[in-house]
Amino acid sequence: MFHLDHLPDQRENEKVVLFLRRHWISVLVIVVAFLFLTGVPLFIGWFFSDVMETWLASPTLGPIVVVAASIYFLSIWLFAFLEFTDYYLDTWIVTNQRIINIEQEGLFNRIASELDLAAVQDTTAEIRGILQTMLTYGQVYVQTAGEKGRFHFKNIDNPEQVKETIAHLVEEDKQRIASGGIVPGRVKSILK
Amino acid sequence: MFELPQFSLPLSIFLYVYSAYMLFYVLYSLFNIYHLIRYGVYGFGLYLIVTLFTGGTILLVGGSLYLLLGYDWTQIVSLNALFEKNAGGIFPGL
Repeated sequence: MFHLDHLPDQRENEKVVLFLRRHWISVLVIVVAFLFLTGVPLFIGWFFSDVMETWLASPTLGPIVVVAASIYFLSIWLFAFLEFTDYYLDTWIVTNQRIINIEQEGLFNRIASELDLAAVQDTTAEIRGILQTMLTYGQVYVQTAGEKGRFHFKNIDNPEQVKETIAHLVEEDKQRIASGGIVPGRVKSILK
Repeated sequence: MFELPQFSLPLSIFLYVYSAYMLFYVLYSLFNIYHLIRYGVYGFGLYLIVTLFTGGTILLVGGSLYLLLGYDWTQIVSLNALFEKNAGGIFPGL
């Protein structure tokens, strides 16, 4: 695990300004799906409790029902946890010098990229649809001069505020470099 | 008239299926927890998530084992006998 005050390849005078994850609606979707997939069979079992009791009391059918139900409920629990891990490990860290983008794709693919703020050319915030407008979440795109220089902050809270903060930090970083700071790099990606 | 073929299998085969699934579940869970601990951000939330998942798993596995231990797994299941015995019992309302 990493600490926010000890980032990978921490630079001198580097401070974390924003630490972003997807909006809480992403967690709500997982929770609702979990409750639905668990609640429906439990409700059916409760509604047909006579049948369920007969099945469970049967020495041959009972074990089969219990094994099937155990596998089903454990799978739902594991699936919900995997989805939550995917949400939890997708992070965007904006410091006063760079942007770090960490994306978990499934359980076996992980992409960590970083971008110097001075290389940022344009930042765009996008809010689409009723839900995103009501809950003020959406996308932020950070464009650079490089070929693969487009960072996508997916479904983050307050995208416009994030865009403003990044634009402000970019200006500050460019001024810092102009006054004799570090030369800006390009996008670096690490595939794990 | 449709007749079911004579078909029987030991009940313990379902226990093997359950065990194989549990092996998959444990491996996948451990790998997932490793990912969280290796790449997650240090904080109370991380410990809470891992504890919640482990606690839920213990409850679910404990509950299913409690129910499974109550059955006699040495029995042989005959498909015909199963349907004949439970003809009125599987769906009592029918």
